[in-house]
Amino acid sequence: MNDDVEETEVENEINDLEKPHHERFRILVCIDGSDESYRGVRYAAKIAKGEDVDIVLCYVRPVDQGLSSGGLQVDVARGNMLEWGLELPGITYLKKGRDLLIELGNMGDDWEQRAFHSDIAGTNLGDNKIDYTAKSGKKIVLKLKVARTVATGILDQWELGHYDLIIIGASARWDKKGGRAIRGFFDPAVAQKIAIHAPCSVLVARDLEIGHGHLVCTDGSDASTEMVKKDAYIAALCECPVSLMSVALDVESEPEAKTAVSEARKLLVDLDINVLETITKVGDPVNEIVEAGPDYSLIVIADSGKTGLERFFMGSVALKVMQNAFNSVMIVR
Amino acid sequence: MTDGEALEPKPITRRARVKGRALKLVKPIAGLRKRSNYLYFWEKRWFYIAMAVGAGLIYMPTPQGLTESGMIILAMSVVATILFVTEPVPLPTVALLIIVGQVILMGIDSKDVAKSLMSDSVLFIMGSLMLAVAVVKQKLDTRIAWVLVRMTGTKTSRIAFGIALMSGLLASFVGEHTVAAMMLPVGVTLIQLTSNDPKKVRNLAAVLLFSISYGSSVAGIGTPSGGARNAIMIGYWKEFFYDPGNPDTFQFLVDYVTWMLYAYPMFLLQIPFVTVILLITFRPEYKDLSRAVVKLRAKVEKQGPMKGTDWLAILIFGMVLLGWIFASTQYGMGTIAILGAAAFLVAGLVAWPDVNSGVNWGVVLLYAAAISLGVQMKDTGAAAWVAQNFLDFLAPLGMDEGLGLWAAVSLLTTAVTNTMSNGAAVAVLGPIVLKVAVAAGESPIVIGFITAISSAFAYLTVVGTPACTIVYASGYLKTTDFLIVGWKMVLMSTIIMLGAAAIYWPLLGAWLEQ
Repeated sequence: MNDDVEETEVENEINDLEKPHHERFRILVCIDGSDESYRGVRYAAKIAKGEDVDIVLCYVRPVDQGLSSGGLQVDVARGNMLEWGLELPGITYLKKGRDLLIELGNMGDDWEQRAFHSDIAGTNLGDNKIDYTAKSGKKIVLKLKVARTVATGILDQWELGHYDLIIIGASARWDKKGGRAIRGFFDPAVAQKIAIHAPCSVLVARDLEIGHGHLVCTDGSDASTEMVKKDAYIAALCECPVSLMSVALDVESEPEAKTAVSEARKLLVDLDINVLETITKVGDPVNEIVEAGPDYSLIVIADSGKTGLERFFMGSVALKVMQNAFNSVMIVR
Repeated sequence: MTDGEALEPKPITRRARVKGRALKLVKPIAGLRKRSNYLYFWEKRWFYIAMAVGAGLIYMPTPQGLTESGMIILAMSVVATILFVTEPVPLPTVALLIIVGQVILMGIDSKDVAKSLMSDSVLFIMGSLMLAVAVVKQKLDTRIAWVLVRMTGTKTSRIAFGIALMSGLLASFVGEHTVAAMMLPVGVTLIQLTSNDPKKVRNLAAVLLFSISYGSSVAGIGTPSGGARNAIMIGYWKEFFYDPGNPDTFQFLVDYVTWMLYAYPMFLLQIPFVTVILLITFRPEYKDLSRAVVKLRAKVEKQGPMKGTDWLAILIFGMVLLGWIFASTQYGMGTIAILGAAAFLVAGLVAWPDVNSGVNWGVVLLYAAAISLGVQMKDTGAAAWVAQNFLDFLAPLGMDEGLGLWAAVSLLTTAVTNTMSNGAAVAVLGPIVLKVAVAAGESPIVIGFITAISSAFAYLTVVGTPACTIVYASGYLKTTDFLIVGWKMVLMSTIIMLGAAAIYWPLLGAWLEQ
């Protein structure tokens, strides 16, 4: 009897854990017109082969505060461009992203198309959205968003859609924050801001190439175990091979690292995921992970769960890896 | 062994279960903290830092030679500058805080503060912004494009020069933002008609678009109506030095024509250099744009001949221009600007909703507050105190007079203007540099011109000048492009300006006095 109750409880837990998977898996790809962002689209396309994965391409236009344009709203110039029959850059970028998805076979020509527009105070153009829906219910959305800054725009977009994964390029234009070189000193890069504040997993794309597999870093903690499961799901979607890695701080704790890796391996094998190799290293976690990274498509690492001041003073391995890595990093939450 | 394997998953699910329970409690709280408090505070951290700095300055012992109210206004200027540069809050908020600060911190009567907000310079800024929207809405850009390609032919270098010159000539009268907004579609059309692939025309795009932005930026100094900063400087000269009872001070009432005599030749001299610098820095992929030009012509000719309303718009603007030149000493430049805006509205050439949404009224508010702050800097003696310290700092370097001082003022302005809008830079620096001129025994007119003109040298960043910001919206340029070509532009402009200050202006000054 008691066992039965526990049994159903366990089932509920498992259902809870898998809940986002039962619903649709939603990917937000942030586009800024750079090559890096289109590599992000390609990667999203790979993950989103299945019918239950939606892709949202999002371009954020920072609202102009007017002062830098001398009091004449930049929208006057934008409106003038539209009257000449010219496309504004955001729309061009989004269309290019959509064409890429069509080319990769993620989207058909016969999908139902619906356009939405909402006015935003302080700009003439407002938010624009085009929904493409397949008969199976799979959705691809193009979203042109107006926000105070690029970073807040993307975070706002998460509030609307509760995405499972945000893909963002670490390109030069993002980290100059819409273009102010000097403000680069004051404000952290957009990608970094998103990685810190977004409540879901964030993939920061840097020379993102498909097909080299995931390097999943685990430390045996609960957060890591959770992360391994989530990544397993994504890896399964894109049929990527998975390598497991754990770094021990010193020689004494190496056995712990080995256990962490083998536990994670078991977990993955149970889920029918192909584990390519397991690695244990001794040394500084950030350095070891960054050095091992370039052989793989991306480094996968769990957010440490530290918040606010704690992170400010102690730093987080995940964020340090993100800053220092040579290739793409996915921070899993 | 089989038992072992069967049992294995259990600890993990148990752990997951415990974790699941914990998560249910912890997650909402952690998420909330992460998203609201922390992000909220972090986004606005510069606001709190600025406020702390301001409070620290006010409670610091007042330095010798500075009054208490001078210290307060200085603290307010420092806070305003930090907020201008870092933008943690919408910038018009800074204006509101300046007004509140003057009443509450300095104890000035609210009636006097309100009075100090509006001046002819502010009316002028407001009026010329309305005029800018009205002019852009006239769709005269297609005509301009037509004249342009007729005159320049199809060679890329000639088109680039033509665009820079045309943008410059227009911008010197109607303001750089207006011209950038009008010419941007012309530039983008030429680029797109040449090739649809942005990668193939990267350098061509840079040359054409920078010709628009730098052409109009260097022209913004040409006449008082070229930019807000000019009107602000004219306002400061009058406020600081003009005394109706003293005929010697009449030279500080700088009118439209006098300003043009000082600055217009400098603008004309810079235009050829702009084109040369751009063509050397970005070597365009196409030497000839005949295909694009032919298509552009066809597009423009579809519009048909000039209509009556087009002529009316040109007539009204011509009248405004004549008003500025001949009647601005009598009625004030601001009055004529708003009369022009009214005329466009009366003639039905522009609708009020267009004007209303096209002008950022916060900017008007901001300049009003910044000028009011500048006047307080003078009245409390804070400007003179800062000026004296600035000179004492420059003296060991031998830069406290003549060319050295001019270069120092220019350098200071260029540095400040690259971090904030150039109008704000002039509003903040104006009172200080004018007092520097007085303390150093230099002509406030020369120093004032150097400040107003150097404030146009914000070629390094996207937000430096209005024209750059607008052109950047086309999506063809990268922020790094501005750095690559910007420093050459700064160097060229500074040399030309210092040359003018050393050779041309003294001659002109002597001639004007005769």
